[in-house]
Amino acid sequence: MTVVPMATTDIKEEPPVSLWRDAWFRLRRNRLAVFGLGVVVLLAFTALFGPYLTPFDFLSQNLDARNMPPSLTHLFGTDDLGRDVFSRVIFGTRTAFLVAIVVTAIAVVIGVTLGALAGFFGGWLDRVVMWLTDMTMSIPNLLLVVVINASLKSPISSWMESRYLATLNPFYRETIWVDFLLVFGSMALISWPPYARLVRAQVLSIRSRPYITAAQALGLTNRIILMRYVVPNALGPLIVAVSAGLGTAMVLESAFSFLGVGVNPPTPSWGNMISDGLRVWQHYPHLLAAPAAVLGLASVAFSFLGDGLNDALNPRGAK
Amino acid sequence: MTKTNTSERLLDVKGLTIEIETRNGPATIVDGIDLHVNKGETLGVVGESGCGKSLTMLSLMRLLPNKIRVTKGTAHFAGRDLQTMSNSELRKVRGGEVGFVFQDPMTSLNPVMRIGQQLAEPLIYHRGMNKAQARKRAGELLKLVGIPGAEDRLDAYPHELSGGMRQRVMIAIGLACNPQLLIADEPTTALDVTIQAQIVDLVKELRDRLGMSIVWITHDLALIAGLVDRVAVLYAGTVVEDAPVDDLFARPAHPYTQGLLASIPKLSDERASRLSSIGGTPPEPGRRPKGCPFAPRCPLAEAICHDKVPVLESLVSAGAHRVACFVAQRKLEAA
Amino acid sequence: MGAQPLMRIENLVKHFHVRLGAFGERAATVHALDDITFDILDGETLSLVGESGCGKSTTGFTLLNLHKATHGKVIYQGKNIVELDEKAMRPYRRQLQIVFQDPYSTLNPRMTIGEAVGEPILFHKLATKAELKDGIATLLADVGLPPRFASRYPHELSGGQRQRVAIARALACQPKFIVCDEAISALDVSVQAQIINLLLDLQQKYGLTYLFIAHDLAVVRHISDRVGVMYLGRLAELTSREELFDNPLHPYTKALLSAVPEADPAHERSRKRQVLQGDVPSPLSPPSGCRFHTRCPVAMDVCSKVVPEWREALPGHHVACHAVTEGISGTGGLPG
Repeated sequence: MTVVPMATTDIKEEPPVSLWRDAWFRLRRNRLAVFGLGVVVLLAFTALFGPYLTPFDFLSQNLDARNMPPSLTHLFGTDDLGRDVFSRVIFGTRTAFLVAIVVTAIAVVIGVTLGALAGFFGGWLDRVVMWLTDMTMSIPNLLLVVVINASLKSPISSWMESRYLATLNPFYRETIWVDFLLVFGSMALISWPPYARLVRAQVLSIRSRPYITAAQALGLTNRIILMRYVVPNALGPLIVAVSAGLGTAMVLESAFSFLGVGVNPPTPSWGNMISDGLRVWQHYPHLLAAPAAVLGLASVAFSFLGDGLNDALNPRGAK
Repeated sequence: MTKTNTSERLLDVKGLTIEIETRNGPATIVDGIDLHVNKGETLGVVGESGCGKSLTMLSLMRLLPNKIRVTKGTAHFAGRDLQTMSNSELRKVRGGEVGFVFQDPMTSLNPVMRIGQQLAEPLIYHRGMNKAQARKRAGELLKLVGIPGAEDRLDAYPHELSGGMRQRVMIAIGLACNPQLLIADEPTTALDVTIQAQIVDLVKELRDRLGMSIVWITHDLALIAGLVDRVAVLYAGTVVEDAPVDDLFARPAHPYTQGLLASIPKLSDERASRLSSIGGTPPEPGRRPKGCPFAPRCPLAEAICHDKVPVLESLVSAGAHRVACFVAQRKLEAA
Repeated sequence: MGAQPLMRIENLVKHFHVRLGAFGERAATVHALDDITFDILDGETLSLVGESGCGKSTTGFTLLNLHKATHGKVIYQGKNIVELDEKAMRPYRRQLQIVFQDPYSTLNPRMTIGEAVGEPILFHKLATKAELKDGIATLLADVGLPPRFASRYPHELSGGQRQRVAIARALACQPKFIVCDEAISALDVSVQAQIINLLLDLQQKYGLTYLFIAHDLAVVRHISDRVGVMYLGRLAELTSREELFDNPLHPYTKALLSAVPEADPAHERSRKRQVLQGDVPSPLSPPSGCRFHTRCPVAMDVCSKVVPEWREALPGHHVACHAVTEGISGTGGLPG
């Protein structure tokens, strides 16, 4: 028997290109996305190594050098307590990233698990999950945070203080954990629905693709099909959503801190720095400009990166 | 040369070139197409997917998608230049003097508009009819294309009709303004074979009754055998052969046409005998070979084929039969 | 050719339950497949033809247990495989393969060709990891692809090449039986011929049995040993390809054959087609009696009332039609 070989002319000589590599090539050609990626990497680096980079401690006050304009020693000047604004912005980056990553990570874990289960198994599970999603989505996040602040924060803080007095365990003195866990934990608990919806829709659409039927026809088990067929194909849109979600969480953190229901002073956050700077912006505009500019930059960077990823991962849907 | 007077040509496309912008710069999809349709003639345009047959027709009406544009060539309709024509003038041609029928009647009809309205629209726009006149004419059109209970169907939405009925509605819309030319782009590809036969018969009958010219774009040579007067075979964005239909089926001159005809299973074939097939696949845009685009797959290719692009020329023996192939042309000269 | 049945399909029924209306308030049943009975012989190519919605693809899916049969039996190696659960089905999955219509969507875009072809080999333990690379190369060679394609991704391949990969993947299981579900319909004419030749070669080499589901009658005529014609979820006629094309008994088969265009202009122009009127009715509410009676040119009273019996009208020639039955018994002779 003979098999007619394919004509050799149509065999390309370039190395094979996986869809991920292909997306990376496309991302690299998108200038705004590269800019966004660069800024995000820089901010992440700052957040990680910030404490080793800052010329001053963010808490150390120098009352002789209050409200100094930007100079070579104090790149962004100093605030009303003589603290170095540059150092505080860098620490604010750490706060922002910590919050964004914690909030997004919790939300993604909850959302992806619920969404994937609902999409893959359907039936009553799907209905329950979707009902839960809709319920959660109807809770206004600002209101929830304010309510939690008002109702839970002070009893827990005073309980921790009493535990500290009783045990002298320094863990109980770290009230910052209350801020983080309470406020941003609750934020995470209400920001998973978009991920759940996205993943459910992805799984539903992938489950009906012919390559899933083809895999079933080969006799492959559900576990293999889920891990090797469904998950890798659902990842693209999730990456886009996570990138955008990180930016949103950062802005949200700043917004809550600005309103005084997020991170509390003296822990620096772009939000509470903006809030402080706003009171004196006519006299010392740099106190407002520095944190606001960095927040704006971060927000724009994540948004560019998210858009770029979207175009890179869904080339046909773009434009 | 053909003896056809140019003025008889209803549609005349010369050297049309279409490019698409890609990551690696512009890539040619349509490379200097020559096509014409005479008055009252039915032309079949045949080619495989990606050969540029649909884009050529869309480009005539300036309906090309983004990033795809005409870079060279001319196109005249009834003696008027389609490319320099003003937009308002072009709109009169579109849907007025030239009717379109697309492949997929589900996506080409507006799902939220009653079919009566969709039929009436071009009549009001192009013919200046009032609503009542347009509705009356719309009913006549539905009857013309053989939709049972035509008048009652005017108020139906597209999803209430079957695929075959929707394609009839598309044809009715294409014919609404008594066009001189009907361009049908794979109008039966989405349909079943018995419905396909209905539509082909319908178009034949309408043509004989209304006397318009037709361009029928398809990938199926057998389908148009009994329908068209002349066939233009496209390969990788060029016309490789253009001949009267009987000539083309009886004496295909281009190796691609020969291969295409040979790969259709025939009644006389023994069961499970090997079909003659063309090896390889058509070139992608941007990867066009130098020389004749078919040369890499061609069993007869010679050195010159890989080097120079053959031009569409009349075979000496038959004026209307034109082919773009060095080997075929030389063979005939020798004979 | 072995005349032993490889698979026996008995009274197979597949109904889909759907919900209609804007709020899914109306439950309805799609009669995709009703009471199908036929044998698939070892080593043959049996084709199923018919128009969209006739149930030919559903037949392929149901007899591979990819759709749960509503009723009926599919006997393979003495077992009714449609009542097996996924785990019990697994050893049969290896032997019973399928190639789908659209080569663009039946391959996982995130897996290389080598991974896609190698996966069933490893899963069904048909080779060790060490032998895998050779196994993949052999399979690719079988379908006419060079071994270096193993590191490519599906989106880098043309439609024809992808369909070759899909065939290689089915072959990797060393199957006995392959359902070709419109496997060539999405391909260009010139590539179609390549794939048909490939399927014929592989059948000869490995002694495969094909259930070939298609709507292109010219192709079906070319490759089939026997052909079944389906209409609206029922078999109308099933016989050898010579019988079917030379001596069709069922009026629907006749109409279907008369609608197929031939690549011959003079013949086509002069030809008088027997064009069927109207459309295929909805499988949601199929007509009573013979489902074809609403479009049948020779319909009688009985046709709208009684479902015609699926019977062997001539040796090896099954048909379900009252007119045929009457013709035979009425005249005592045979029609055609």
